[in-house]
Amino acid sequence: MAFLNESTKTKVLGRSSAALPSPWQAWRYRLKVALREPTTLIGILTAFIFTYLIVVPIISIVLDAVRVQFGHERRLGKDVGELTFYYLDRAFFSPVASDLFWRPLFNTLTVALGAISLSLVIGTVLAWLISRTDMFGRRWFATALIVPYMLPAWTFALAWTTLFKNRTIGGQPGWLEAMGLTPPDWVAYGRFPITIILALHYTPFVILLFGSALRRFDSQLEDSARILGAGRFDVAVQIILPLMRPALLSSMVLIFAKCLGEFGVPYVLGLPVKFEVLSTSLFRSIASRQTGVAGVVAASIMLIGIITLMIDARLVREARRFVTIGSKGSMNRLSRLGRLRLPATGFAAAIFVLSVGLPLLTLSLSTIMKMPGRFALENFTLDYWIGTDLHTVALQTGILLSPDLWAAAKNTMMIVGLASLTSGILGLLVGYVVIRTPVRALSVYLRQVTFLPYLVPGIAFAAAYLSLFAVPRGPMPALYGTVTILVLALIADQMPYASRAGISAMTQLGKDPEEAAQIAGAGWFRRMISIVIPIQKGSLVTGVLLPFISGIKGLSLFVILAVPSTDVLTTYSLRLVDYHYTQAANAVVLIIAAIAYFGTLLAQKLTRTNLAEGLGS
Amino acid sequence: MPTINLRGAQKNYGVNSANAVSDLDLEIRDGEFMCLLGPSGCGKTTTLRMIAGLENLSGGEIRVGEKIIDSVSAGIFVPPEKREMGLVFQSYALWPHLTIERNTDFGLRLRKLPKAEREARVERVMQALDIAKYRDRYPSQLSGGQQQRVALARMLAVNPGVLLLDEPLSNLDARLRLEMRAELKRLHKEFKTTIVFVTHDQWEAMTLATTIAVRNEGTLQQMGTPNDIYDRPANRFVAEFVGSPPINILTFGKPGISDVADKAQAYFAARYPQLRGIGSVGIRPEAMGYAGKLEDVPQGSFSNEMTVTGVLPTGGSWILELRSENHTLFLTTHSLPRVDNGERVFFYAPPEALHVFDEKEQRITEADTLLRSSTYN
Repeated sequence: MAFLNESTKTKVLGRSSAALPSPWQAWRYRLKVALREPTTLIGILTAFIFTYLIVVPIISIVLDAVRVQFGHERRLGKDVGELTFYYLDRAFFSPVASDLFWRPLFNTLTVALGAISLSLVIGTVLAWLISRTDMFGRRWFATALIVPYMLPAWTFALAWTTLFKNRTIGGQPGWLEAMGLTPPDWVAYGRFPITIILALHYTPFVILLFGSALRRFDSQLEDSARILGAGRFDVAVQIILPLMRPALLSSMVLIFAKCLGEFGVPYVLGLPVKFEVLSTSLFRSIASRQTGVAGVVAASIMLIGIITLMIDARLVREARRFVTIGSKGSMNRLSRLGRLRLPATGFAAAIFVLSVGLPLLTLSLSTIMKMPGRFALENFTLDYWIGTDLHTVALQTGILLSPDLWAAAKNTMMIVGLASLTSGILGLLVGYVVIRTPVRALSVYLRQVTFLPYLVPGIAFAAAYLSLFAVPRGPMPALYGTVTILVLALIADQMPYASRAGISAMTQLGKDPEEAAQIAGAGWFRRMISIVIPIQKGSLVTGVLLPFISGIKGLSLFVILAVPSTDVLTTYSLRLVDYHYTQAANAVVLIIAAIAYFGTLLAQKLTRTNLAEGLGS
Repeated sequence: MPTINLRGAQKNYGVNSANAVSDLDLEIRDGEFMCLLGPSGCGKTTTLRMIAGLENLSGGEIRVGEKIIDSVSAGIFVPPEKREMGLVFQSYALWPHLTIERNTDFGLRLRKLPKAEREARVERVMQALDIAKYRDRYPSQLSGGQQQRVALARMLAVNPGVLLLDEPLSNLDARLRLEMRAELKRLHKEFKTTIVFVTHDQWEAMTLATTIAVRNEGTLQQMGTPNDIYDRPANRFVAEFVGSPPINILTFGKPGISDVADKAQAYFAARYPQLRGIGSVGIRPEAMGYAGKLEDVPQGSFSNEMTVTGVLPTGGSWILELRSENHTLFLTTHSLPRVDNGERVFFYAPPEALHVFDEKEQRITEADTLLRSSTYN
């Protein structure tokens, strides 16, 4: 029955006669809307750039694994570039396969698992102590215990060798050896120290992730269980633990992925006893120009990395089911430790001493001691820092007076600085396009392609770059040995963090301020200049600073791609390690550690954010 | 601004998803204070954003006067920055890095007006909205209500052809909300702007609008003056959506499900046999009365005996909950109830208070004339 009634002035117009637009019309309209503003064009452009910088190198190294490499034509009876399974066979099934792949794989997995278990045990306890108890100095520990993560991992490796190095290898002896106590090989090198160091280095991961999950945990959930009669133990097992599981699993997976790509620590501590992990095996293959095998190993590392992080993505998705709505009651009640308060504080302090105090002190002292392990006044000197006319073959001045150091420092600043600046800007741009473009496919592709390097451990990524850019291809000249290849590789390597920062900044900003400007009559460029960039100033600074810090302490990328003329601080110190200039090497590492530490503090101060956000960089 | 016309406007997000807005025809005339009213998720905000150009159409067109500003089939899209409209966001969306004065000034600067005129206009809206004293502060230093005023001022400053408001009062507390309602009404008079206003709050719609468009699930249910909407809801959805406590609905159908509905069916069959195809009858709680004895029930009204099961004071008025064997009704009274729980009373509703809907839930308008004329016979 009709309800139209003129007298009541109720006007509901009948259904419109306007027919649905034809698909062609709809497409034309969408295109017009999409291309109205430069957003989409910028998106397409960046998508191309990242395809070239990220996807193509990865494809290239995977192809290397199955194609005849230069120098093997005769042996394989095929031309360079033809399809071959020789390298796969060599890496996986030949008599040398166990040295090339299987033993390194086994070592990688066992070291990673050991490090994960240890850091979980230490990390969960510390996280709980920091965030939910009345331990003394909680706030101080909350920052102090994160410090190991701000320092490069192989700082600890160098500190370890300084202490425990024995007569197995030459050069200056370790302190213990010098005092007449010869540490056995298993303490000095290989699996044991690597596991311990990685565990200590990645414990902050657990503290950050688990701690923040604990803090977000709504006390009301706990209270409800208590009111229904659950005891402390029941609450912990039935309520808290299940809800914390995603955070725990996630930190496990992240640590695993990090261990997979770790190069510096196994290089310093594994090599003397031929303890190889996948990353060092890859390095050896590249160093001995076994490009094909290197391709196989690198591809395997990538594959393991990708699988691991896919598991993580899965876990995160599942964790969403557990998202506890942070109501106003999400207050954080502290457990009283009672008599355990002092021992607990002691435990946290001990971990701090072990993971920060001792290594840094050892390194610092080692740089001012002539003979290791002898604590007499005449043994101390500042020569290794500022001395001149030293009686050494090379490096006859203190490290601070060495032109090599300053050249390396300059290189570092230039390469890492340029790369971080570029990736920071690109990251914000990507964030903008991802959030704003009406072309969904573009948004999804950009988000994923910039995330891809995250799945690929740095060392494998560097190998991929070597594979693509070592020889001239098309219009691109051979880039090996240039600054360009380092900058490009760094940019690509840092894109996951940069784009994630950009996307989250743009998400946080929301559409409203920009739309309001649009309504007020501002076109695209005006909005960029007057609204978006001024508001995002802070996150742009972080987007540059955080990659910069991670780039400065990064080693695995440089160790493959840098040559002496493009030495950066990390490769320079590694070279000094190789030449057994222990004091100088340690001094350089201390400089890097200082830059990384103060840089992180600065970033935190500037953005007033917690480190947890920059996690993983 | 000339009349804004939406014709067959459509919006869906993705091919397979349901329409957020389906086939909407809407006419907004100059100087109107129109309110889009409906439950959350009915496409009100989307409609507003389509008018502003922040949301693209999936079909249909939008005209301003005779000029098409947005049309899929004609391939025309006038970008938001060229539409000369104003939109106040639910979140206010003030620019955090600009002072209040600069926020207000932003649009005028873009229009490259001479400085003197800009200053005069900024001054005028800031005075009108009583925010001049905060001119050098930043948005984060203001309270929600003050931010709201700045958001309004910012849009009024450019003197837009139409002012679109997206639930602008929903983030304010009750008292501020009342103030802002009065303010909006005053601004509508003072600036003579066409205003389109989105809300899910029926009282807001009732008190402010000159025209209300009630929406549900992407389609327009009824458009009319506030009184139309309340007194002559075009269908059951509108009847049930507007009014608090909600209208009592008696659904006709198989006997035995509700004794009150059965009674109503008998009442209509006896008194208005010419009305056919009744699906349901609605009675607003505030249109009902009650009496302790049958003889006090006015002649000709629909009535039934029920038990009082609840007396709920709401401050100044009371809601009575009445139950029969298998039906619950609500009744609003403005005088202190003289009944207690468990007492038997007769509720009654005069025939003109009955809203009659057909089986497709649409209002039977013939019934209105009939019920009205029959009141006193």
